Amino acid sequence: MTAQTRAARLLRWYPRGWRDRYGAEFTELLIADLADRPRCWRRTADVAAAGLLARLSRAGLSGQLLSPVEQVTASLATLGCALAVFLTFGTMVWSQLVIGWQWGPPGNRATAVAVLVMSAAMAVFLALALLAAVPAGWCLARAVTRQPAGRLARPGALAALSAAVLVTGARHVQNGWPGTGGHAWPHQGLIPGGVAAFGWATTLSVSSYWAHPAALLAFPAAEIAWMTVSPAALAGLATGLNMTLRRLGLPAGVLRYQARLGTAAAAVMVVFLAAAACWVFAGAAGPRNLCRAGAIDVLALIMMMLALAAGWQALRRVWAAGPPRDPLAGPCPPAPRS
Amino acid sequence: MADRAGTPAGALGTLGRYAGPATLILSSLADGAKHGYALTKDIMSFAGVRLAPGTLYEALTRLEAQGLIEPLPSEDRRRPYQLTAAGAAALQAHLRAQRQVADVGLRRLAERWGTA
Repeated sequence: MTAQTRAARLLRWYPRGWRDRYGAEFTELLIADLADRPRCWRRTADVAAAGLLARLSRAGLSGQLLSPVEQVTASLATLGCALAVFLTFGTMVWSQLVIGWQWGPPGNRATAVAVLVMSAAMAVFLALALLAAVPAGWCLARAVTRQPAGRLARPGALAALSAAVLVTGARHVQNGWPGTGGHAWPHQGLIPGGVAAFGWATTLSVSSYWAHPAALLAFPAAEIAWMTVSPAALAGLATGLNMTLRRLGLPAGVLRYQARLGTAAAAVMVVFLAAAACWVFAGAAGPRNLCRAGAIDVLALIMMMLALAAGWQALRRVWAAGPPRDPLAGPCPPAPRS
Repeated sequence: MADRAGTPAGALGTLGRYAGPATLILSSLADGAKHGYALTKDIMSFAGVRLAPGTLYEALTRLEAQGLIEPLPSEDRRRPYQLTAAGAAALQAHLRAQRQVADVGLRRLAERWGTA
Protein backbone atom coordinates (compact mmCIF):
# COMPACT_ATOMS: atom_id res chain seq x y z
CA MET A 1 0.00 0.00 0.00
CA THR A 2 1.46 3.39 -0.99
CA ALA A 3 1.91 6.26 1.42
CA GLN A 4 -0.64 8.23 -0.59
CA THR A 5 -3.25 5.49 -0.09
CA ARG A 6 -2.48 5.19 3.62
CA ALA A 7 -2.71 8.95 4.06
CA ALA A 8 -6.03 9.03 2.18
CA ARG A 9 -7.38 6.33 4.50
CA LEU A 10 -6.29 8.20 7.61
CA LEU A 11 -7.90 11.37 6.26
CA ARG A 12 -11.29 9.66 6.24
CA TRP A 13 -11.45 10.02 10.04
CA TYR A 14 -12.14 13.72 9.51
CA PRO A 15 -15.48 15.29 8.49
CA ARG A 16 -15.96 16.51 4.93
CA GLY A 17 -15.80 20.20 5.78
CA TRP A 18 -12.48 19.75 7.53
CA ARG A 19 -11.12 17.67 4.65
CA ASP A 20 -12.14 20.33 2.15
CA ARG A 21 -10.19 22.96 4.07
CA TYR A 22 -7.16 21.05 5.37
CA GLY A 23 -7.17 17.77 3.42
CA ALA A 24 -4.45 18.52 0.86
CA GLU A 25 -1.90 19.96 3.29
CA PHE A 26 -2.66 17.36 5.95
CA THR A 27 -2.14 14.58 3.39
CA GLU A 28 1.28 16.02 2.55
CA LEU A 29 2.19 16.03 6.25
CA LEU A 30 0.98 12.43 6.64
CA ILE A 31 3.00 11.26 3.62
CA ALA A 32 6.13 12.89 5.05
CA ASP A 33 5.44 11.38 8.48
CA LEU A 34 4.85 7.95 6.94
CA ALA A 35 8.24 8.22 5.24
CA ASP A 36 9.88 9.03 8.60
CA ARG A 37 7.98 6.40 10.57
CA PRO A 38 6.51 3.75 8.23
CA ARG A 39 4.88 1.81 11.06
CA CYS A 40 3.55 3.76 14.04
CA TRP A 41 0.29 2.82 15.75
CA ARG A 42 0.44 6.00 17.83
CA ARG A 43 0.12 8.09 14.68
CA THR A 44 -2.95 6.11 13.64
CA ALA A 45 -4.49 6.49 17.11
CA ASP A 46 -3.64 10.20 17.19
CA VAL A 47 -5.20 10.88 13.79
CA ALA A 48 -8.29 8.82 14.67
CA ALA A 49 -8.78 10.70 17.95
CA ALA A 50 -8.24 14.09 16.32
CA GLY A 51 -10.57 13.17 13.45
CA LEU A 52 -13.34 12.11 15.80
CA LEU A 53 -12.88 15.31 17.81
CA ALA A 54 -13.16 17.30 14.59
CA ARG A 55 -16.42 15.48 13.85
CA LEU A 56 -17.71 16.29 17.35
CA SER A 57 -16.72 19.92 16.85
CA ARG A 58 -18.54 20.11 13.53
CA ALA A 59 -21.57 18.63 15.29
CA GLY A 60 -21.37 21.44 17.84
CA LEU A 61 -20.51 19.08 20.71
CA SER A 62 -16.92 20.10 21.35
CA GLY A 63 -14.18 22.57 20.59
CA GLN A 64 -14.09 26.20 19.57
CA LEU A 65 -13.59 25.80 15.84
CA LEU A 66 -16.83 27.41 14.78
CA SER A 67 -18.09 30.97 14.91
CA PRO A 68 -20.75 31.60 17.60
CA VAL A 69 -23.58 31.48 15.04
CA GLU A 70 -22.19 28.30 13.44
CA GLN A 71 -21.68 26.82 16.90
CA VAL A 72 -25.26 27.51 17.96
CA THR A 73 -26.62 26.21 14.65
CA ALA A 74 -24.54 23.02 14.81
CA SER A 75 -25.34 22.42 18.48
CA LEU A 76 -29.06 22.98 17.94
CA ALA A 77 -28.97 20.55 15.03
CA THR A 78 -27.32 17.96 17.24
CA LEU A 79 -29.88 18.62 19.96
CA GLY A 80 -32.57 18.02 17.34
CA CYS A 81 -31.00 14.67 16.40
CA ALA A 82 -30.75 13.69 20.08
CA LEU A 83 -34.39 14.63 20.51
CA ALA A 84 -35.34 12.52 17.48
CA VAL A 85 -33.60 9.47 18.96
CA PHE A 86 -35.15 10.16 22.37
CA LEU A 87 -38.63 10.48 20.89
CA THR A 88 -38.27 7.32 18.82
CA PHE A 89 -37.62 5.21 21.91
CA GLY A 90 -39.89 7.32 24.10
CA THR A 91 -42.79 6.95 21.71
CA MET A 92 -42.27 3.20 21.64
CA VAL A 93 -42.53 3.05 25.44
CA TRP A 94 -45.37 5.53 25.74
CA SER A 95 -47.53 4.16 22.90
CA GLN A 96 -47.56 0.61 24.26
CA LEU A 97 -48.67 1.92 27.66
CA VAL A 98 -51.47 4.14 26.37
CA ILE A 99 -52.63 1.31 24.11
CA GLY A 100 -52.62 -0.96 27.15
CA TRP A 101 -54.72 1.61 29.04
CA GLN A 102 -57.41 1.27 26.36
CA TRP A 103 -57.74 -2.41 27.23
CA GLY A 104 -57.64 -1.82 30.95
CA PRO A 105 -56.37 0.79 33.47
CA PRO A 106 -52.83 0.27 34.82
CA GLY A 107 -52.38 -2.21 37.62
CA ASN A 108 -50.68 0.08 40.12
CA ARG A 109 -50.24 3.74 40.98
CA ALA A 110 -46.66 3.99 39.72
CA THR A 111 -47.65 2.92 36.22
CA ALA A 112 -50.67 5.23 36.16
CA VAL A 113 -48.62 8.25 37.28
CA ALA A 114 -45.88 7.36 34.81
CA VAL A 115 -48.30 7.16 31.89
CA LEU A 116 -50.00 10.42 32.87
CA VAL A 117 -46.66 12.24 33.15
CA MET A 118 -45.36 10.78 29.89
CA SER A 119 -48.58 11.78 28.12
CA ALA A 120 -48.31 15.33 29.46
CA ALA A 121 -44.67 15.43 28.37
CA MET A 122 -45.68 14.28 24.90
CA ALA A 123 -48.20 17.12 24.72
CA VAL A 124 -45.49 19.62 25.72
CA PHE A 125 -43.11 18.13 23.11
CA LEU A 126 -45.81 18.66 20.49
CA ALA A 127 -46.41 22.26 21.61
CA LEU A 128 -42.66 23.00 21.55
CA ALA A 129 -42.36 21.46 18.08
CA LEU A 130 -45.15 23.72 16.81
CA LEU A 131 -43.58 26.77 18.45
CA ALA A 132 -40.25 25.90 16.85
CA ALA A 133 -41.79 25.18 13.45
CA VAL A 134 -43.53 28.56 13.05
CA PRO A 135 -40.47 30.87 12.76
CA ALA A 136 -38.42 28.18 11.00
CA GLY A 137 -41.21 27.65 8.48
CA TRP A 138 -41.48 31.41 7.98
CA CYS A 139 -37.73 31.68 7.31
CA LEU A 140 -37.94 28.70 4.95
CA ALA A 141 -40.82 30.24 3.00
CA ARG A 142 -38.94 33.55 2.70
CA ALA A 143 -35.78 31.79 1.55
CA VAL A 144 -37.64 29.80 -1.09
CA THR A 145 -39.53 32.82 -2.44
CA ARG A 146 -36.48 35.14 -2.50
CA GLN A 147 -34.04 32.84 -4.22
CA PRO A 148 -34.03 29.52 -6.07
CA ALA A 149 -34.35 26.63 -3.62
CA GLY A 150 -30.94 25.25 -4.76
CA ARG A 151 -29.19 23.98 -1.64
CA LEU A 152 -32.48 23.44 0.18
CA ALA A 153 -34.05 21.27 -2.51
CA ARG A 154 -32.34 17.97 -1.67
CA PRO A 155 -32.74 17.99 2.12
CA GLY A 156 -36.25 19.37 1.74
CA ALA A 157 -37.17 16.60 -0.68
CA LEU A 158 -35.61 14.00 1.63
CA ALA A 159 -37.65 15.27 4.60
CA ALA A 160 -40.88 15.43 2.58
CA LEU A 161 -40.41 11.96 1.07
CA SER A 162 -39.51 10.42 4.45
CA ALA A 163 -42.52 12.06 6.11
CA ALA A 164 -44.80 10.77 3.35
CA VAL A 165 -43.43 7.22 3.71
CA LEU A 166 -43.73 7.41 7.50
CA VAL A 167 -47.32 8.64 7.53
CA THR A 168 -48.52 6.34 4.75
CA GLY A 169 -46.79 3.25 6.12
CA ALA A 170 -47.76 3.88 9.74
CA ARG A 171 -51.39 4.53 8.82
CA HIS A 172 -51.46 1.27 6.86
CA VAL A 173 -49.90 -0.77 9.66
CA GLN A 174 -51.86 0.79 12.53
CA ASN A 175 -55.13 -0.11 10.84
CA GLY A 176 -54.00 -3.67 10.24
CA TRP A 177 -54.02 -4.76 13.88
CA PRO A 178 -56.94 -4.04 16.21
CA GLY A 179 -54.78 -4.37 19.32
CA THR A 180 -53.06 -1.08 18.52
CA GLY A 181 -56.00 0.99 19.59
CA GLY A 182 -57.41 1.30 16.12
CA HIS A 183 -60.61 -0.14 17.56
CA ALA A 184 -63.60 2.00 18.45
CA TRP A 185 -62.96 2.35 22.19
CA PRO A 186 -61.65 5.85 22.50
CA HIS A 187 -63.66 6.45 25.66
CA GLN A 188 -61.63 3.77 27.48
CA GLY A 189 -58.25 5.26 26.81
CA LEU A 190 -56.21 8.14 28.13
CA ILE A 191 -55.67 9.59 24.66
CA PRO A 192 -57.36 9.05 21.28
CA GLY A 193 -56.75 5.53 20.02
CA GLY A 194 -55.56 6.67 16.62
CA VAL A 195 -52.77 8.77 18.12
CA ALA A 196 -51.53 5.87 20.23
CA ALA A 197 -51.76 3.50 17.27
CA PHE A 198 -49.83 5.90 15.04
CA GLY A 199 -47.06 6.15 17.64
CA TRP A 200 -46.97 2.39 17.94
CA ALA A 201 -46.78 1.92 14.16
CA THR A 202 -44.04 4.50 13.57
CA THR A 203 -41.82 2.85 16.17
CA LEU A 204 -42.68 -0.76 15.37
CA SER A 205 -39.05 -1.40 14.45
CA VAL A 206 -37.96 -0.85 18.07
CA SER A 207 -38.72 -4.40 19.02
CA SER A 208 -37.19 -7.33 20.86
CA TYR A 209 -38.42 -9.57 18.04
CA TRP A 210 -35.18 -8.80 16.21
CA ALA A 211 -33.52 -11.06 18.78
CA HIS A 212 -36.02 -13.83 18.04
CA PRO A 213 -35.90 -14.38 14.27
CA ALA A 214 -38.13 -17.45 14.35
CA ALA A 215 -40.95 -15.48 15.98
CA LEU A 216 -40.33 -12.51 13.72
CA LEU A 217 -40.68 -14.61 10.58
CA ALA A 218 -44.20 -15.53 11.68
CA PHE A 219 -45.20 -11.86 11.18
CA PRO A 220 -46.96 -10.84 7.94
CA ALA A 221 -44.42 -9.94 5.24
CA ALA A 222 -45.76 -6.38 5.00
CA GLU A 223 -45.17 -5.83 8.71
CA ILE A 224 -41.61 -7.14 8.53
CA ALA A 225 -41.01 -4.90 5.51
CA TRP A 226 -42.35 -1.93 7.48
CA MET A 227 -40.08 -2.74 10.43
CA THR A 228 -37.18 -2.56 8.00
CA VAL A 229 -38.27 0.54 6.09
CA SER A 230 -39.57 2.72 8.94
CA PRO A 231 -36.16 3.29 10.64
CA ALA A 232 -34.83 4.58 7.33
CA ALA A 233 -37.86 6.86 7.00
CA LEU A 234 -37.36 8.17 10.57
CA ALA A 235 -33.65 8.75 9.92
CA GLY A 236 -34.44 10.40 6.59
CA LEU A 237 -36.95 12.74 8.19
CA ALA A 238 -34.55 13.77 10.97
CA THR A 239 -31.63 14.17 8.55
CA GLY A 240 -33.67 16.10 5.99
CA LEU A 241 -35.04 18.55 8.56
CA ASN A 242 -31.63 18.91 10.16
CA MET A 243 -29.87 19.67 6.87
CA THR A 244 -32.61 22.03 5.74
CA LEU A 245 -32.36 24.09 8.92
CA ARG A 246 -28.56 24.15 8.84
CA ARG A 247 -28.51 25.27 5.21
CA LEU A 248 -31.26 27.78 5.80
CA GLY A 249 -29.00 29.86 8.02
CA LEU A 250 -31.51 31.05 10.60
CA PRO A 251 -31.04 34.63 11.88
CA ALA A 252 -29.46 35.10 15.30
CA GLY A 253 -32.75 36.10 16.91
CA VAL A 254 -34.49 32.95 15.72
CA LEU A 255 -31.51 30.88 16.89
CA ARG A 256 -31.79 32.36 20.38
CA TYR A 257 -35.51 31.59 20.37
CA GLN A 258 -34.83 28.01 19.23
CA ALA A 259 -32.17 27.68 21.92
CA ARG A 260 -34.74 28.57 24.59
CA LEU A 261 -37.18 26.03 23.16
CA GLY A 262 -34.35 23.48 23.08
CA THR A 263 -33.66 24.10 26.76
CA ALA A 264 -37.33 23.57 27.55
CA ALA A 265 -37.34 20.38 25.46
CA ALA A 266 -34.32 19.07 27.37
CA ALA A 267 -36.11 19.70 30.66
CA VAL A 268 -39.16 17.81 29.38
CA MET A 269 -36.86 14.96 28.30
CA VAL A 270 -35.71 14.67 31.92
CA VAL A 271 -39.30 14.51 33.17
CA PHE A 272 -40.28 11.96 30.54
CA LEU A 273 -37.25 9.80 31.28
CA ALA A 274 -37.97 9.89 35.03
CA ALA A 275 -41.56 8.78 34.40
CA ALA A 276 -40.44 5.98 32.07
CA ALA A 277 -37.91 4.80 34.64
CA CYS A 278 -40.62 4.91 37.31
CA TRP A 279 -42.74 2.54 35.20
CA VAL A 280 -39.85 0.19 34.29
CA PHE A 281 -38.63 -0.16 37.89
CA ALA A 282 -41.82 0.28 39.95
CA GLY A 283 -44.66 -0.45 37.57
CA ALA A 284 -46.90 -3.48 37.49
CA ALA A 285 -47.74 -5.72 34.56
CA GLY A 286 -51.41 -4.74 34.78
CA PRO A 287 -54.42 -6.50 33.28
CA ARG A 288 -53.63 -8.96 30.49
CA ASN A 289 -49.94 -8.27 31.08
CA LEU A 290 -50.25 -5.20 28.86
CA CYS A 291 -48.03 -2.96 31.00
CA ARG A 292 -45.19 -5.41 31.63
CA ALA A 293 -41.74 -3.85 31.20
CA GLY A 294 -39.37 -6.02 29.20
CA ALA A 295 -35.76 -5.98 28.06
CA ILE A 296 -36.62 -3.73 25.13
CA ASP A 297 -37.97 -1.14 27.56
CA VAL A 298 -34.76 -1.21 29.57
CA LEU A 299 -32.86 -0.79 26.30
CA ALA A 300 -35.13 2.14 25.43
CA LEU A 301 -34.34 3.74 28.81
CA ILE A 302 -30.62 3.41 28.13
CA MET A 303 -30.98 4.90 24.66
CA MET A 304 -33.05 7.78 26.02
CA MET A 305 -30.40 8.45 28.68
CA LEU A 306 -27.68 8.53 26.01
CA ALA A 307 -29.77 10.83 23.82
CA LEU A 308 -30.42 13.09 26.80
CA ALA A 309 -26.70 13.22 27.63
CA ALA A 310 -25.88 14.18 24.03
CA GLY A 311 -28.67 16.76 24.05
CA TRP A 312 -27.44 18.37 27.27
CA GLN A 313 -23.89 18.51 25.94
CA ALA A 314 -25.19 20.21 22.79
CA LEU A 315 -27.17 22.66 24.91
CA ARG A 316 -24.09 23.47 26.98
CA ARG A 317 -22.26 24.34 23.77
CA VAL A 318 -25.20 26.49 22.66
CA TRP A 319 -25.05 28.61 25.80
CA ALA A 320 -21.25 28.62 25.86
CA ALA A 321 -21.06 29.93 22.31
CA GLY A 322 -20.88 33.55 23.51
CA PRO A 323 -17.63 35.08 24.74
CA PRO A 324 -14.85 32.46 25.05
CA ARG A 325 -14.08 31.19 28.52
CA ASP A 326 -10.86 29.98 30.04
CA PRO A 327 -11.07 26.26 30.82
CA LEU A 328 -7.35 25.95 31.55
CA ALA A 329 -7.14 28.94 33.89
CA GLY A 330 -3.51 28.44 34.69
CA PRO A 331 -0.14 29.60 33.49
CA CYS A 332 1.30 26.12 32.92
CA PRO A 333 0.11 24.29 29.80
CA PRO A 334 -0.21 20.51 30.03
CA ALA A 335 2.56 18.41 28.55
CA PRO A 336 2.11 18.06 24.81
CA ARG A 337 1.21 14.73 23.30
CA SER A 338 4.13 13.34 21.37
CA MET B 1 -1.01 34.68 38.00
CA ALA B 2 -3.82 33.01 36.19
CA ASP B 3 -4.52 34.00 32.61
CA ARG B 4 -8.05 34.90 31.67
CA ALA B 5 -9.76 34.99 28.34
CA GLY B 6 -9.60 38.49 26.96
CA THR B 7 -5.94 38.92 27.90
CA PRO B 8 -3.31 37.88 25.36
CA ALA B 9 -2.12 34.99 27.53
CA GLY B 10 -5.72 33.97 28.12
CA ALA B 11 -6.10 33.39 24.40
CA LEU B 12 -3.84 30.37 24.81
CA GLY B 13 -5.61 29.35 28.02
CA THR B 14 -8.86 28.84 26.13
CA LEU B 15 -7.18 26.13 24.05
CA GLY B 16 -7.40 23.72 27.01
CA ARG B 17 -5.27 20.64 26.54
CA TYR B 18 -4.01 22.08 23.25
CA ALA B 19 -2.30 24.96 25.03
CA GLY B 20 0.94 22.91 25.16
CA PRO B 21 1.09 22.14 21.42
CA ALA B 22 -0.14 25.68 20.70
CA THR B 23 2.75 27.19 22.66
CA LEU B 24 5.23 25.02 20.75
CA ILE B 25 3.67 25.93 17.39
CA LEU B 26 3.58 29.65 18.11
CA SER B 27 7.17 29.53 19.35
CA SER B 28 8.19 27.77 16.15
CA LEU B 29 6.38 30.31 13.98
CA ALA B 30 7.95 33.21 15.89
CA ASP B 31 10.93 33.22 13.53
CA GLY B 32 8.95 32.86 10.31
CA ALA B 33 6.24 31.03 8.41
CA LYS B 34 6.37 27.21 8.23
CA HIS B 35 4.24 24.39 6.86
CA GLY B 36 3.19 21.33 8.86
CA TYR B 37 6.21 19.09 8.34
CA ALA B 38 8.68 21.98 8.87
CA LEU B 39 6.84 22.77 12.12
CA THR B 40 7.18 19.17 13.28
CA LYS B 41 10.91 19.13 12.57
CA ASP B 42 11.55 22.53 14.14
CA ILE B 43 9.63 21.69 17.32
CA MET B 44 11.53 18.41 17.52
CA SER B 45 14.81 20.28 17.32
CA PHE B 46 14.15 22.93 19.99
CA ALA B 47 11.79 21.08 22.35
CA GLY B 48 12.61 17.41 21.81
CA VAL B 49 8.92 16.71 21.25
CA ARG B 50 7.47 15.19 18.09
CA LEU B 51 3.93 16.45 17.62
CA ALA B 52 1.85 13.75 15.94
CA PRO B 53 0.01 14.91 12.79
CA GLY B 54 -3.46 14.79 14.35
CA THR B 55 -2.41 16.79 17.40
CA LEU B 56 -0.50 19.30 15.27
CA TYR B 57 -3.44 20.02 12.99
CA GLU B 58 -5.96 20.06 15.83
CA ALA B 59 -3.91 22.82 17.42
CA LEU B 60 -3.36 24.60 14.08
CA THR B 61 -7.11 24.55 13.43
CA ARG B 62 -7.86 26.08 16.82
CA LEU B 63 -5.10 28.68 16.54
CA GLU B 64 -6.40 29.71 13.12
CA ALA B 65 -9.98 29.87 14.45
CA GLN B 66 -8.76 32.21 17.22
CA GLY B 67 -6.88 34.40 14.76
CA LEU B 68 -3.49 33.69 16.36
CA ILE B 69 -2.04 32.30 13.12
CA GLU B 70 -3.00 32.68 9.47
CA PRO B 71 -2.36 30.61 6.35
CA LEU B 72 -0.27 31.98 3.52
CA PRO B 73 -0.94 31.35 -0.16
CA SER B 74 1.02 28.42 -1.48
CA GLU B 75 1.91 27.11 -4.90
CA ASP B 76 2.02 23.48 -3.80
CA ARG B 77 -0.15 21.39 -1.49
CA ARG B 78 1.88 22.27 1.61
CA ARG B 79 0.37 25.40 3.11
CA PRO B 80 2.60 27.55 5.34
CA TYR B 81 1.27 29.39 8.38
CA GLN B 82 2.50 32.58 9.99
CA LEU B 83 2.02 34.27 13.33
CA THR B 84 -0.46 37.16 13.47
CA ALA B 85 0.02 40.22 15.66
CA ALA B 86 -2.53 38.80 18.11
CA GLY B 87 -0.65 35.49 18.12
CA ALA B 88 2.66 37.22 18.84
CA ALA B 89 1.08 39.13 21.75
CA ALA B 90 -0.53 35.96 23.13
CA LEU B 91 2.73 34.01 22.91
CA GLN B 92 4.70 36.78 24.57
CA ALA B 93 2.26 37.09 27.47
CA HIS B 94 2.07 33.32 27.88
CA LEU B 95 5.84 32.83 27.88
CA ARG B 96 6.32 35.67 30.36
CA ALA B 97 3.86 34.01 32.69
CA GLN B 98 5.68 30.71 32.23
CA ARG B 99 9.02 32.36 32.92
CA GLN B 100 7.68 33.86 36.13
CA VAL B 101 6.64 30.39 37.31
CA ALA B 102 9.98 28.93 36.24
CA ASP B 103 11.91 31.69 38.02
CA VAL B 104 10.00 31.18 41.26
CA GLY B 105 10.42 27.41 41.09
CA LEU B 106 14.13 27.58 40.37
CA ARG B 107 14.74 30.17 43.11
CA ARG B 108 12.93 28.07 45.69
CA LEU B 109 14.77 24.97 44.60
CA ALA B 110 18.07 26.79 45.01
CA GLU B 111 17.07 28.07 48.47
CA ARG B 112 15.85 24.73 49.81
CA TRP B 113 17.89 22.16 47.91
CA GLY B 114 20.84 24.12 46.70
CA THR B 115 20.22 23.20 43.10
CA ALA B 116 19.13 25.46 40.26
